[in-house]
Amino acid sequence: MKNQAIEKQLNLLDYTLSSLWRRKLKNLGIITVFAVVIFLVASFQILTNSLTETAEQMLGHTPEIVVQKMSAGRQEAIPVSYLDRLDGIFGIRAAVPRIWGYYFDETSGANYTVLAVDREIMPAGRSLEMALDGDFPETGEGEAALGRAVAANLNLAGRSTFSLFRPDLTLKSFRVTGVFAETTELLTADLIVTGLEDARDLFAIPEYLATDLLIYVTNPNEISTIARKIAAEFPDTRVLTRPQIQKTYQVVFGWRSGFASICLLTALAAFAILAWDKASGLSAEEKREIGILKVLGWQTTDILVLRFWESLVVSGLAFLIGCTAAYLHILFLEGSLFRPVLLGWSVIHPLLKIVPVFAADDLLLIFTLSVLPYLAATVIPAWRCSTVPPDAAIK
Amino acid sequence: MIELQSVNKFYNLGQPNEVQALYDVNLFIEKNSMVCLRGASGSGKSTLLSIIGCIFPPTSGRAAVAGKQLARLPDRFMTIHRRQSIGFIFQQFNILPALTVENNITLPLLPLGVSPAERRQRAGELIERLGLGHRRNFPAGQVSGGELQRVAIARALINNQPIILADEPTAHLDTGLSQEFMRIMVDLKKAGKTIVIASHDPLVSEHPGIDTIIDVKDGRVDVS
Repeated sequence: MKNQAIEKQLNLLDYTLSSLWRRKLKNLGIITVFAVVIFLVASFQILTNSLTETAEQMLGHTPEIVVQKMSAGRQEAIPVSYLDRLDGIFGIRAAVPRIWGYYFDETSGANYTVLAVDREIMPAGRSLEMALDGDFPETGEGEAALGRAVAANLNLAGRSTFSLFRPDLTLKSFRVTGVFAETTELLTADLIVTGLEDARDLFAIPEYLATDLLIYVTNPNEISTIARKIAAEFPDTRVLTRPQIQKTYQVVFGWRSGFASICLLTALAAFAILAWDKASGLSAEEKREIGILKVLGWQTTDILVLRFWESLVVSGLAFLIGCTAAYLHILFLEGSLFRPVLLGWSVIHPLLKIVPVFAADDLLLIFTLSVLPYLAATVIPAWRCSTVPPDAAIK
Repeated sequence: MIELQSVNKFYNLGQPNEVQALYDVNLFIEKNSMVCLRGASGSGKSTLLSIIGCIFPPTSGRAAVAGKQLARLPDRFMTIHRRQSIGFIFQQFNILPALTVENNITLPLLPLGVSPAERRQRAGELIERLGLGHRRNFPAGQVSGGELQRVAIARALINNQPIILADEPTAHLDTGLSQEFMRIMVDLKKAGKTIVIASHDPLVSEHPGIDTIIDVKDGRVDVS
């Protein structure tokens, strides 16, 4: 035999469900609006987490320190001769010159990032090959590896060669040796990777200059110490560390997501106010029903429990629908609704496959920001209304 | 069974719109009797019925219903006492039209933690007794006035309370249905219930089943 208290709660839940069903149109409307708001908030949360996670995974392969030469507050090409002076700093495993720059493709109106490193002297050089479907380009051979978006944009249609303009408008041809894997797309979508000589040829950069220098350290715990030493040795440079870059990604996604979240939280707050307003102004029919129930022996607490169940069912259902829809939105539509907001509006979007990352604390956060305010917004006014004198029903 | 001594009832006590609804009321209603509270609208019948029905306590005086002193009972216990001791039949029956006949009848049992099977069984007995078998699963909004009246009676009896209070139960019924109502009340009295009916309908007050008529006028009572 079931406990009487449990049976009572089941009875009240049963009555709640039938009561919700009786006002199905109104409740369906509330659930729909509420679920949409939760879907928006949850989508941003999942997308931000997924992008941050992907970025962190990708940045794990990047150099620990990047040294850039600064002049009048702007970056300029750095002399390759700086590499000799870096040899004197203890803890540096390898220092590699890098050339990179933007190439504007007038045909598609897109900017590509052209990047060149010497893979042979780069400690992580071999891991670059792992990110490639194909071979890594050899330097001086006019070879290039492309990001997936670039490959799609160049519309190669089976061809393996393409040409880019030098500054003097002569054409430089490249042969495609590989395309970067889909999983790296957040970082490689707009990338053209080539050899140092070919990049110098394309951008007309003299042999004694590079865009920046990549530094690999022996002990990752010493990154900031070595960065300080480099900054002290080369006062005309800007020294960027991997943790700083990771932080920048987090801040960028976090800021964008935070900005959008504030807008959405405003919508959530507006919904809570609406719910409060609706709950405080019980209709004459609802007041009469409360009066009848009270005369029939229902306690004020029974009415409150009824309201609580009602709100919990409505908000819980909206929460489940909203979160599930957000998860499916990221999983199958890859967050297409919000990708431009979080990834920027450039012509080339990273087309990476985002794997939804949905942590328990995110669920708890969204639950706290949606279901709890709704419960408060409906149960508290209902408590005021449930103190309606029961004799109102028999007059 | 029901005893009121020097009962006064004020509404909005101490405020500019203060109204005294009952003046020094004394009455005694025996167990297993049928009493009619007779009076015009606004005479204080409903207030008297509300005090007997444990909906609110008197402002002053003593009111004892089914062995409990109302003035001493906190609101929560008054509600419990009400659902254990009193069944209500309202003027317009106050049935929830969207619920089925059976669900309306079993409403008082929900907060008591009575299981669905027992609710069905108890409702079934009353439904058969009152001739509502063919309407059991109908929405109450779709049944006739006479059937609605019987639904209200069944709901008042579902918890087997010893006292039945009816407030103007025949106000919206034709003569035939009013007589049918009184016939059921007489049967209930025979079954041991104590019945109090507030009505200004002569068909009720002059019914042979009525044991006592209490005239209520301007908040004062006169027992005959």
